[in-house]
This record gives sequence, structure tokens and C-alpha cells, in this order.
Amino acid sequence: MLEARKGHTRQNRRRRERAVLLFIRLTAVLALAVMASILLYLLINGLPAINLAFLTEFPRDSMQKGGVLPAILGTVVLALGALLTAIPLGFGAAVYLAEYARPGVLVSFIRLGVSNLAGVPSVVFGLFGLSLFVTTFGFGRSILSGSLTLGLLILPTVTASAEEALRQTPQSFREAALALGASRWQAIRQVVLPAALPGMLTGSILALGRAAGETAPIMFTAAAAYTLAPPDSIFREVMALSTHIYNLATNSTHIEETRPQQFGAALVLLVLVLGLSMFAIVIRAKLRRGRKW
Amino acid sequence: MVEDSVIISARNVDFYYGDFQALKNINIDILRDEVTAMIGPSGCGKSTFLKLLNRMNDFVPGARLSGEIFIGGESIYAPEADPVVIRRRVGMVFQRPNPFAKSIYDNICYGPRLVGVKKPKELDELTEKALRAAALWEEVKDKLGKSALELSGGQQQRVCIARALALEPDILLMDEPTSALDPIATAKVEEWIKDSGLSIVIVTHNMQQAARISDKTAYFFLGELIEFGPTKELFTRPKEVKTENYITGRFG
Ligand SMILES: Nc1ncnc2c1ncn2[C@@H]1O[C@H](COP(=O)(O)OP(=O)(O)OP(=O)(O)O)[C@@H](O)[C@H]1O
Ligand SMILES: [Mg+2]
Repeated sequence: MLEARKGHTRQNRRRRERAVLLFIRLTAVLALAVMASILLYLLINGLPAINLAFLTEFPRDSMQKGGVLPAILGTVVLALGALLTAIPLGFGAAVYLAEYARPGVLVSFIRLGVSNLAGVPSVVFGLFGLSLFVTTFGFGRSILSGSLTLGLLILPTVTASAEEALRQTPQSFREAALALGASRWQAIRQVVLPAALPGMLTGSILALGRAAGETAPIMFTAAAAYTLAPPDSIFREVMALSTHIYNLATNSTHIEETRPQQFGAALVLLVLVLGLSMFAIVIRAKLRRGRKW
Repeated sequence: MVEDSVIISARNVDFYYGDFQALKNINIDILRDEVTAMIGPSGCGKSTFLKLLNRMNDFVPGARLSGEIFIGGESIYAPEADPVVIRRRVGMVFQRPNPFAKSIYDNICYGPRLVGVKKPKELDELTEKALRAAALWEEVKDKLGKSALELSGGQQQRVCIARALALEPDILLMDEPTSALDPIATAKVEEWIKDSGLSIVIVTHNMQQAARISDKTAYFFLGELIEFGPTKELFTRPKEVKTENYITGRFG
């Protein structure tokens, strides 16, 4: 009798297994379809606007003609500035958290702070950057203010991913160095950091992708609607792709006429961000292959 | 005369991890140029004792020691003792091979560079000497620039031995150095231990191994040193019942 039941439950199990699998497949396909249609929509609307001139020229005729070169440059400069801000602070904090801090109130407090910071809406960072860097420090609307603001925005992500990479380096590396008479800092600098650095950088580049696409923080602190000046000083305002799209679509004099430019700029931004992520993923895969822990 | 040949001695050593007492009143004299094996059931404090000898337990929060340990006549837990200097004189090889993610050459040179050796010629010589001493030179002399992580497990462990030897330590501590190795690699490491002529303290789970390679054996049980003496005697005519139970497999 039990034998019969065994066969019965097996059939049931199989049927349920198949149903679950079907459901999971469906959700995966749906998610993919949504992403694909966004991409397709952008491609259809944006691709016609894109040519060499679009990528290498300044905007003309109230943005209806010409290209988005200054916005591309501005976005790249701001993103790099953000990285330069976030890496020293974030890596420093990560080394402290992963290598030195003993579990306790202070550390829990810092971790809580870091993870809460990651959840703060970017517009709040914009407002904060405006009052601190632009006004109080007197940096004005500038590459400097924008980079610092974006840097703070990605700081939690950079810190968390760097800490994770440090924790993944085997304890045995530290032990080996210490047993050879290295000081704690020597062990970290000479053995742990070189091993963890690729992972730490990958996390940072992924965060950078996020910074490059942000709109609100730089709208408050760095972005000019239109400027002919090249970004040759950190105290200059710059154009950026995200704010350029926003401006064209919401408060330009020719909203309908600049649709192709809007989509073109969006496509360029997307390619830039995806490119950064791909870059990070490729180096991570490369580095994974070479190591065995 | 007798005093002279003692290289490590522990006097009334108690050791605590927080509230837990891991070692109880350990007294032992370990002789120069001998291989001393530490055996005993899991958790009896072998690794703990070994790590006291190069002050690696300094890094464990809440750890506490009383009693004294002398190496070469100097008290290594005296306030004026420098743990970094001690670790350079007392090398350590760990249970799992743990070469750095660097070239073989840079692994061996890590210790010498820490103490300020910079001349390439000097480093080259030290590397060859250490690798020869670890019986690895012939196998790796043509690929010193390759990552140590690309070597086999047994080779990696010998890189770790060479890395420790490059500092020309007075004593080498080994914590189950062959437990992650296959029989052939194990045989090579054992052979090296027997022929090295160094003062070696080795923790092992493997009683046959202790019998094969050591001059003296110490048997630990629940944080106490139950018996310590010449390996042959300990295995053939143990003085303590607990030791006999353990080596004959009647233990727990
Ligand atoms: N860092 C630590 N913190 C707290 N307790 C510890 C720590 N390290 C070891 N112990 C405890 O101390 C006792 C002795 O541990 P030790 O590692 O010295 O044993 P062992 O003889 O080396 O065992 P094994 O053969 O399994 O390696 C064990 O009860 C262990 O749980
Ligand atoms: Mg152990």
C-alpha cells in the first residue's frame, strides 16, 4: 500500500516541479522582455539622431542642431571626479571595518550609517551638496561640487563592496604575513590589499555607472543648461547627459523639435553606463580565472 | 650543559580564550635540533600551544596567558620582548598551504624584504638557498616568476616552508603541515623534516607520522600535557594510562 503511495507522490511532485519551472521561466522571459522593449524603444527613437557630428559637436540653434559633446565630456569628468572622491574615503573605511575594527557599538553604528546612506534618495544628496559645497564652502556650481556630491552618493556602495572584497581574501594570507614578522599594516598593504584590489575596484566601477546616470545631485551642484566653455577647471559648470535630457524634455523652447536629440542623448548615456558595467564585469571575470580562493 | 641544549621551555603556562581555559599548567623543555611532535585528540590545545611559541595568539581578542615561555633563554612574554622579532626567529608553517598570490620568488623574499634586504643578488642567493633547503629548487628553478598559486599542493606547502626558512629561523613550528596533502607530497615533506636538522615542533593528528619523524613526542589531553618523552618510548612503553588509551585507539 505504501508502495502505491510512493508512486503517487512522485507523480504529484513531478507535476508541481514542472509548474514551478514554468512559472520561473515565464517571469524570466517577462523581465527580459521589459528590458528589451526599453532598449528597442530607445534605439528606434535615438539611433536616427546619432552620427559623428552628434558625438563630436556642440549644440546649436537652441539645441535643435549640433551634438552633445560637452554633455558627454561633463558626464565623464563628473563620474571620474566622483570616483576620486569616493575611493580614498571608501577604501579607507573598508580597511578599517574589515581589518581593524573589533565588533562593538562603534562598528555597528558605522555599518548602520553606511547602509542607511545607501538608501537616501539622490535628490537629498543634491540638496546637501548644494548647501555644503556650493554655498558653505563657496565652490559654486562646479565640477568640484558635483564630483564631491556624486562621490558621497556612491560612497556607501564603494565602501560596502570594498569591505566585501577584503573579507573574501583568505585569513591565511594575513596569518602568513604576520607569522613572518610583518606588522598589521604591512600585512594589509603588501599582501591583503594587492589580493583584494581588483575586487574593490570592480565594485567601484559598478558604482560609477550609477553616478554617471544620476540627474538630481548634479542639477543642484554642477550642471549648466548650456555652456560653450570646455571643462578646463574644476570650478567650472559643465553640461551633463542626464541633465541635458531633462532640460530638453522639460524646459527648452523646442521640446517637440528636440525629441530626437533627447533620445539620442539617452542612448549615449545608456551605452556609457552599460559600457562601464560591462568593463567591470569583464575584468572581474578575468581576475576570477587567475586565482584560486 | 643540559641547559644549553634546551631551546624552548614553558613554565607553569595557563592560557585562556576569554573564560575558557585552553591550556593548564604546561611545563615542557624542548631540545635544540630535535623534531618534537605534539599529538592528542581534537581540541586538546595543540595548536594553541604552538601559536604561543611565536605569539600568534596576540591577535586573538580576549586571550590571556600566565606563566612564562623561554626561547633561547629569553622570556618571550616579558614586557620588553618584541613579538615581531620573535616571529622572525620562530618560523611557522600552517595546516593548509598559504602562499601569497605572488610569484614564487616574491613569496620567498617576503620575509627577507621585511627585514630590509634589498640587493637583488642577495635576494637571489637567499631564494635559492631556501628553496634548496625545502627540497623544491630543482622543481621550480625555471619558473620562479610564476604565481605560487599555480603549483601543486605539495609544492605550495614546500614554498611555505622555504618562505619561513628564508628568514633563517632558529625554530620552525608546523601545524599539521601535511593534512591537506596527498601521500606522495606528504612523504616529501616528511622526508624534508627528518633530514632538515632544524629544531622543529610539529603538531600532527597522525600517530604514524609522529612515530616516523619525531625524536620526542608530547601527548596533550583536554589542555593538559599528559606525557612527554622520547618518541619510541612513548609509543612502546607509555607511562600514563591516558596515553596508552590514545595510542592504542581505545580513546573515546
Ligand atoms: N580563537 C579562539 N577563541 C576561543 N576558543 C578557541 C580559539 N581557538 C581555539 N579555541 C578553543 O581552544 C581549545 C583548543 O583549541 P586548539 O585549536 O588548540 O585545539 P587543537 O588541539 O589544535 O585541535 P585540532 O586537532 O582540532 O586542531 C578548543 O576547545 C577550541 O575550541
Ligand atoms: Mg589544531
